[in-house]
Order: sequence, then C-alpha cells, then structure tokens
Amino acid sequence: MKAIFLRTLSLPETFLSCLIITLFALISQLDPSFLQWEVQRSLSSHIWELAIIAIPMTLIILTAGIDLSVGSIMSLSAITAGMLFQAGSSMPLACGAALLTGTLGGFLNGFFIARMRVHPLIITLATMATYRGIAEGISQAKPVSGFPAGFTRLGQDEWLNLPFAAWVFFIIFVSVFWVIHRRALGLHVYAIGNNDTASRFSGIHVDRILIGLYTFSGFASALAALLFVARRNTAKADVGMGIELGVITAVVIGGVSIFGGRGTLVGTCLGLLLIHETREFVSWHWNRDEFILIVLGLLLIVSVVFQKLLRHKQNSS
Amino acid sequence: MPSLTTQNLSKSYGGTHALKNVSLKIHAGDIHALCGENGAGKSTLIKILSGVETPDQGLVQWNGNHLSLGKVHEMESKGIVAVHQEPVVFPDLNIVDNLYAGRELSSGMGTWLNTASMKQRTRDILDSLGEDLPLNQPVGEMALAQRQMVSIARALFNQCRILILDEPTASLTTRESDALFKTVISLKNQGVGILYVSHRLEEVFQLAQCISVLRDGILVSTQSSNDLSEDALIQQMVGRKVAYPSRQQPVNADITKNKPVLELKALSRTPAYDDIHLKIHAGEILGMSGLVGAGRSEIARAIFGIDEFDTGEILFNGKKLQNHSIRKAIDLGIAMVPEDRQRQGLALPLSVETNLLLPSLNAFQGMTGLDRSQMRSMSGQLISKLGIKTGSPDNPASALSGGNQQKIVLGKWIHQNPSLFILDEPTRGVDVGAKSEVHRMIIELAKQGSAVLLISSELPEILSLSDRILVIAKGHVSGELAREEANQEKLLKLSLPEEAKQSP
Amino acid sequence: MITYLLRHRAIGLFLFIGLLTTVVSWINPAFLSAQNLRDIAVQAAPICIISCGVMLVLVAGEIDISVGSMMGVLAASMGIMVSASRAQLPPHVAIALTLLIGIGMGLFNGLLVAYAGVPSIIVTLGMLTALRGLTEIIMNGAWITDLPEEIRFLGTGTILSVPLSLWTTAGVLAMTIWLIHRTPIGRRIYATGSNPQAAQLAGLSIKSIKLFVFAWTGLLTAVATLVSVPQLSVVDSGIGVGTELLVVTCVVVGGTSVNGGVGTLSGVLCGVALMTMISTVLIFLKLGEHATYWSRAIQGLFILGAILADHWISNHKK
Repeated sequence: MKAIFLRTLSLPETFLSCLIITLFALISQLDPSFLQWEVQRSLSSHIWELAIIAIPMTLIILTAGIDLSVGSIMSLSAITAGMLFQAGSSMPLACGAALLTGTLGGFLNGFFIARMRVHPLIITLATMATYRGIAEGISQAKPVSGFPAGFTRLGQDEWLNLPFAAWVFFIIFVSVFWVIHRRALGLHVYAIGNNDTASRFSGIHVDRILIGLYTFSGFASALAALLFVARRNTAKADVGMGIELGVITAVVIGGVSIFGGRGTLVGTCLGLLLIHETREFVSWHWNRDEFILIVLGLLLIVSVVFQKLLRHKQNSS
Repeated sequence: MPSLTTQNLSKSYGGTHALKNVSLKIHAGDIHALCGENGAGKSTLIKILSGVETPDQGLVQWNGNHLSLGKVHEMESKGIVAVHQEPVVFPDLNIVDNLYAGRELSSGMGTWLNTASMKQRTRDILDSLGEDLPLNQPVGEMALAQRQMVSIARALFNQCRILILDEPTASLTTRESDALFKTVISLKNQGVGILYVSHRLEEVFQLAQCISVLRDGILVSTQSSNDLSEDALIQQMVGRKVAYPSRQQPVNADITKNKPVLELKALSRTPAYDDIHLKIHAGEILGMSGLVGAGRSEIARAIFGIDEFDTGEILFNGKKLQNHSIRKAIDLGIAMVPEDRQRQGLALPLSVETNLLLPSLNAFQGMTGLDRSQMRSMSGQLISKLGIKTGSPDNPASALSGGNQQKIVLGKWIHQNPSLFILDEPTRGVDVGAKSEVHRMIIELAKQGSAVLLISSELPEILSLSDRILVIAKGHVSGELAREEANQEKLLKLSLPEEAKQSP
Repeated sequence: MITYLLRHRAIGLFLFIGLLTTVVSWINPAFLSAQNLRDIAVQAAPICIISCGVMLVLVAGEIDISVGSMMGVLAASMGIMVSASRAQLPPHVAIALTLLIGIGMGLFNGLLVAYAGVPSIIVTLGMLTALRGLTEIIMNGAWITDLPEEIRFLGTGTILSVPLSLWTTAGVLAMTIWLIHRTPIGRRIYATGSNPQAAQLAGLSIKSIKLFVFAWTGLLTAVATLVSVPQLSVVDSGIGVGTELLVVTCVVVGGTSVNGGVGTLSGVLCGVALMTMISTVLIFLKLGEHATYWSRAIQGLFILGAILADHWISNHKK
C-alpha cells in the first residue's frame, strides 16, 4: 500500500496536478475573476489547434522520435485549401485536398524515418523548411481570405458552449486514448520507445507503426490548420510558425521522456493545461506578454529536472 | 625477476562464485597462458587485474608491493594493461588521436599540440609492433585486426610491464594471427610479461611457457607447457562432470524419419557462414556448438528472418521461405531467444506482463479493446508455469534477476506453441538454480513436439540436452555427432579451426 | 568517384558551389561582381561564426538550438549598454560585457546539460523560449536607434577595404582550426562524441568538455552579435529569430553527424556558403520576383538531398 502511494506520488502526473492546483490557488487569491467560465472560454479559443497536434506528438516522442515539421505542414495545408478556394474550387474539396496534403507530408516524414533510418530530428528539420518553403512559393507569401460563411463557422461557432475545435480535440483524444490503452498498438508504441530491437525481434511491425504515427501527425496538423483558417478567416504561409516548439514543450512538461518509452496522454493534457493557464493568466493579470516566454522556458527546464530527481528518488528508495 | 602475483583472489556475483582463492604468478618476460571453458572465471580475473572490478577478498602485488584494486588508472600507471576482446577505440578518430586521447603531448599549457612528435612516437610504436598502418585513416574504417592492433598499441603506450590479451585472435585470420604472435614474442623479448587468454590450444602451446587452467572459478593447475599434452590440457579444462539434467528418453528412432521441421540447404552469407546444411525434426533438440564468432548466431538470425542471406534455401515444413521477415517467421511458428537478452529480448522498463505478451498482443484484442483480465490470467499462468519470481506481473522486467528475465524471453513464445525454437545461449549469465530450470523447460518443449535449435558455448549443456550436435568452425559445419558418440574432447577438437581449412 | 565526393562532403559541396556559381554567373555576370560577393560574405559572416561553435556541440554529441534567442539577448543588452539615451557605457566595456554575457549563457546551458543531466535538446529548447522573453523584457517594447559610431564601426567599418565582420570571421575560423587541430581539448571533443564510454575509460572529463563546447558557442554567438547587429540601424527584440535553425541546417548540410564524433570545419564552411548563396542566386537568375519566395523550399530540398546522399553512401559502404 505504501509502495503504491509512493509510486503515485512520484508520477509526473501527480507532480503536474499539484502544480496546477497551486496555480489555481494562487490565481484565486490574486484575481478570482480570471476563473469565471466566460473568461476561460474566451481565452481558450486558440489552444485547441495546439492540443490536437500534441496528441500525435506525444505518441511520436513515446517512440523516441520527434516531429519538427508540424507547423510547416499546417502552413502547407492552409495554403493548399486557400489556393484551391481562390482558384474556384468548392470548400469541401479544398478542405479534403488540404487534409490529403498534410497526411502525405506526414507520410513522407515517416517513410524517410522508418525506411532510411535517418534521425527524425534531421528529417523533420529538412521537411520543416521544405514544406513551409513550398507554401511560401505557391502562395507568394500572400494571404487568402474571404472564405465562405459555412466554412468560417467551423472556427467560430460553438456547440454546447464549447467551440467546434474543442469537440474535434475531444473526439481525437478519446479515440487515441482508447487505442493506446485498450489496443495492442498502444503497448507496441511503448515497446518501440523502450527497445526497438527487442520490439522488432518480437514481430512488431516497427516500420509500419512509425510511418503510421508520422502520417497521423501530418493529418492532425492539417486538421489544426483548417480550424485555424476557419477561426481567423485567413490563410497565409506563416500559419503555424513556431507551433512545434509550443507542442513539444507541452508534451515534455507533461512528463513524456524525450528519449521515448515513458509518458502518457493524460500527462500531455496536464502539460497543456498548465502552460495555457500560466500563459493566459500572466497576460491577463499583468498584461506583460514577455514574462510568459521566460516562465514557459524555465518551466520546461525545471519540470524536467524535477521529474529526473523524482525518478531518481523512486529508484533509490 | 619482477612479477605480478595474486593471492587468494575471490569474487562472487549474487550466489555464484566466479573466482575462488586464485593465486597466480606472472613473471616479466614470460608468456603465461590462461585456459578454461566459458564461465570458468577468466574474464573475472582479467577484470580484476585491469582494475575494472574489485575482488571480494585477496591481494594483488607487483614486485612485492600491494596494488590498490578497482582503479584502471592505478593499474595502468604500474604498467598493467588489458586489451579486451572487443577493441575499445574511437571509431571516428585516426590512430594518433586514438593513442593519445586523454594524454596528448602539448606545450604552452595545453595551447599547442606537438603533432609532429605525437605522429613520430605513434610511428615508433607501430614500427616496434611491425605494423604499417595509415596514420590519417579513421580507425572505424579499418579491419577488425587493425583495430585490435590499435588497442594493443594504446596498451603499450606507457611503459607496459604486464600485458593481458583476452582472446586476441578470436576474429583474426591466420595471417593476421601470425603477425600478432610475432608482436607478442618480441614484446616478451623486451621483458614484458604477457597473460595470454585463449580458447585456441595450438596457439597456447606455440606461444606460452607456462599454462594455468581455471575451472569453475578455481585454479586447477599451473604447469610448464613442455610438461603438458593437448589432451591432458583439455582433460583439465573439462574436469569432472557437472550435474546437468539430461533427457530421460533416448532419441526416438522415429524422430529422424519424420519430415524435418526446418531444413537449410547450402545457406551462405559471406563472410559469416558458408554452405550450411542442416535438418531439425519435430521433437528433436539439435545442439549447435562452436567458438564465439564462428557464425552460429548469424545462422540463427537468418532462420528467424532478421538478416538476409546471400544464397541457399530455408525450408520450413518442406516449403521454401520467400521474402522472409521476422513477422513471417513468427506467424509460421518459429520462436527465437536471442543471445543478448537485455538488448534484443526485453523492453526492460516495461512490465513483466507486457514483455511476456508482446509478440501476441493482437490475440487479446476484441471489439471493446484489449481483454485485460484474459491477459492477466495468461500472464499469471505463464509466470507460475515457468516459475518466474516476481512480486507482481506489473513489476518492470528490469527488477528481475538474469535467470528470471531469461524465463520471460522464453515465456514470450511458449504459449503460442511454436513448432521451432531457436535458443541462442539460453543460459548465459544465468545462475545455477535458474539454469537447471531453463534446461528442464527446453526438454519439456521437445517432449511436446517442438523442434529446438540450441546454440551454446557451454559444452556440458550441449552434451546433456542435444539429440544431435552440429559443430560450426569459421562459418563451416566441421562435424556432426550423434548423442552417443559425442563428448567434450571431440567437440572441443572439432570447434578449433583447422589451419588447413583457412585461406592463406 | 561519386561516392568519394559524397563521403568527403566538403569537396562535393565545394564542387557543387562551383557549378552553381558558374551557371548563375553565366546567366548573370553581375553575380561575380566584387560588390555581390562581398554582400554574400557579409551576410554569411554571423552564421559562419556561430556555426563554428554549434558544430563542436554536435561533434561532442549534443545540440544547441538556443543561439537565436541568445543573439536577441546579446543584441538587446549591448544596445542598452551603449545607447546614448541609456547606460552610455564606453564601447570597449560594453563589448567586453557582451562577450561575458555570451559566455555566461553558454555556461548556463552547459551546466544544465553536463552536471544536471538534462538532455541538451530540452535545455536549449527551454532557453530558446526563455531568452526570447528576456530580450523582450530588456527592450521593453522600445527600439534602440542611437548606437554610437564606435559600435557601428564593428558592423559597417572596413580595414584595408575589407569589412570588419569578415576579418572577425577569419579570426574565428583561425581560432577554431587551432582549437580543433592544435589543442588537446579539440581532440577530446571529437573523442567524447565518437565513443563516450571509451572516452571515460581513457580518463577524459566528459563533463568539462561538454561545458566547454556550450560556453564556446555562447562566446561565438556574442562575437557574431557584435559584428552583425551594428549593421542594422535599429535594434529591436526580434533579432536572431530563426538563426538556430539556419545554423543547425548549415552544420548538418556540412556533413556534421548528429550522433557526434564527426564534423569538419571545411564542410561546415561550404554548408554556410551554400545556404546563404541560395537566396541570392534566385535573384540573380532573373526568374522574376516570384521566384525568391521559393528560396526556403530550395534550402529544404538541399538538406533532404544531403541526407539522401548520406543514406546512399552508407548503403554503398556495405
């Protein structure tokens, strides 16, 4: 019993929950109005795109990989939809093409990584430049706007008091959560991250799984791009610039080891929540955006150091 | 004459004694051979003498002065250096940088390397070894023999008094070995004492003045090589019979009349193995004996679909395998326990249950997801059937002992009833108790009708378990023995590569 | 032949740059004008200086993606220190302090990596974010437009009609060559990245080597800031954004391995040259304005090409 208690205590999820509770306690002392539902809802409109991408990113980092190209896939998908719309195609067709483009971009990442055994950091660094470059090239860095109302409503309408994007996130989260915890694939992902040779020797299709995960990441990025375009009613090549860093930061703060094999989707969500609330509160209460970056950067480093210490303690006790 | 002496060295890991009261004396200017089977304690002794391990008790003296143990630097500063079987080098650096890493010659308080004198001294050392190696090539691009030479050169760097060579010819060709022997003899003539560890008895007799034999951690004898015959040496290495469980029933005559489960026809892959023919029948245990590096593991990897092969055929239940892959092998009913348990067999941080069920997780998948209770009952069955000692199926595999970890690797396959088991060194690093349990399981597998390909460097293990024994030497089948005619002496002789077979 | 060229990345890249230059100057001779070559060189100088540091970080088996934000902090603090309307420190004091701040930030990275054992990608990712925030705090939303003449000279001045930034780059290159080939620490950086376990057995202090490469990168980032920022008439909080990716790209295209142990200065130089040339080349090819927007895509394809070449070589080695 005591052992279970200690183990629970040293989980990164526990550590994060404590941090989040402390944060909320602090907020309720400093500025309780921040915690009102209306305020929270209006401040959360942009977080869902990041959250959608964080799901496949969690799985990829669990396999000891990384995907730096998600922001660029967003940009390429957004431009695909925008250019097609501008060329007179119907919006559903443009959206379908955008999703296909993103999925293909992710598939190429996965193909290079699994089949050619190149470090994911290098491959996605290269495709990060390539994909955004193509988006800049075909759009000539000009924005496309004036999308039909039926499309922009996807980004602005609410359903049961929550934006459409939030529901997209919840659906993906629940289905991926189910796959990871209730299907063999979930355990395969952890096994690959822990020991990919032993996984291959156990007959797991390591290559197929990796290609699948990067393809999923491309698809999710395209989806996020469409939601972004619908919300802002504009598509430009700088869509998603730098989002990869935000996503990776959330995943790592959520307790997923950058070396793979350790971490959970719940941890990622807690990481997202912590980052989001910290960021919005600092900006809301002090109106000083520059502090946010410092807080986030230090939070990343400190949380990894802490998780390391906790694990060390658990192992030695 | 100065000498290195050990007094009553003992070392045990867990419950097993690796070394027991070993007292040895190595004189400068002598070549002293150390012989023994795998697991006799040779590597433990080398680790202690090179400062990698600390003994539980006992002393090491150089010229009568006590040495403080467990420090590589201390030993190196006294001129006692070991060259390990796997050369430890910096693959991306050239020879000069490899030799001087950490002890560069520089002037001006480390602001200016004396590259010219470093190159010159490197060349001197290589000259003294009779080697002419390119100084600017990255060592990683050199042949294994040359890398070995770089390791030796690094060892000779400081005023070397005692040089320990661990299986230095294990992966060398005859010509390369001859060059090495010249070096060893010239070092001896310069007054260096050499502890020469080798499986190859003809080398031992060719080089050594003095031969010590270790068996089960005990120093059996130290004799002059002139007083010893090869047969007598083998006798001493093998010693008394170890109590191994052996199969109760003699080979069923019917077994070999059945269609073979697995058949290899002229399987070749240069340079690992060449023209391998073999047949394994249902219910048969085929032992594969030979020295480390003879090509046994490579053959096993080809059968399991890990590596491709150049030419030849693999027939499984009479059907030729095409586009072979690991998944295909598993689906056909082939199981493999790889030689490196921790790197190839287990995802150590994951739970015992996950590791046990890793190859068959898809079978526990229903419409609603993984059937956790069925998984739990299956893993529970396996744990009790195999006698895996773990508090809970949720404990990480890393928390278990070597023997219990090996049982997990076996257990991964057992519940799928494979028709062929490939076991590569199934009891390496496993303590005595768990060892006999693993042996019992292997016999049980054969009784239930599986074919077993057993690869082991331990002769008693091979002898007691196998129905037939195939000996591999330098990638060739050097002999096949039926159970009745096999004994340790014959196996040992067959596994030593015959000089005549080798390319010049 | 092709394999040889691909393996000796510097030679292959050099020939490729030669080919590119020939084609472009054939279409538009103005490409080879002294003015244009000088512009390319000046543009490449800060990237080249920082690459000398980041290359050694990669050789030691680590990575540093914080240099862009370090540049931001350094530019901001230098601007504040020398600005006539702010601290008004004498230029030489400001320069010394800027260099010290650079070393300090590098040491901070190095301490976290070597002594706290945090993976370098995490440390430098965190610093990338945090230091950008620090830059914004230092600048406080304002711009600095009144850099004194002495500081402006660092960026715009010439000696013997060669820009000062090129002299500095030459100096840094000479220093790096000396460090790599002529000092024990240089050799040890390669040894550590090549085989950390063997390095430990050889008695090398891996921790201090890692600390050194990060501090060295911090110092070089400060140098790069000093020679590039004064070229601008305005210092704002966006200086250096994206530099880390460009630098890592140059270093990797130049043949440095992300697994450590491998990397040559000549390869990195060619990588920097190629990456900075591409944007200019598109202008000189007279493909019209719309072509310039493709420069990033072409850069990306070059990196992919370099990776494919590596893959091809390793397959042919077998």
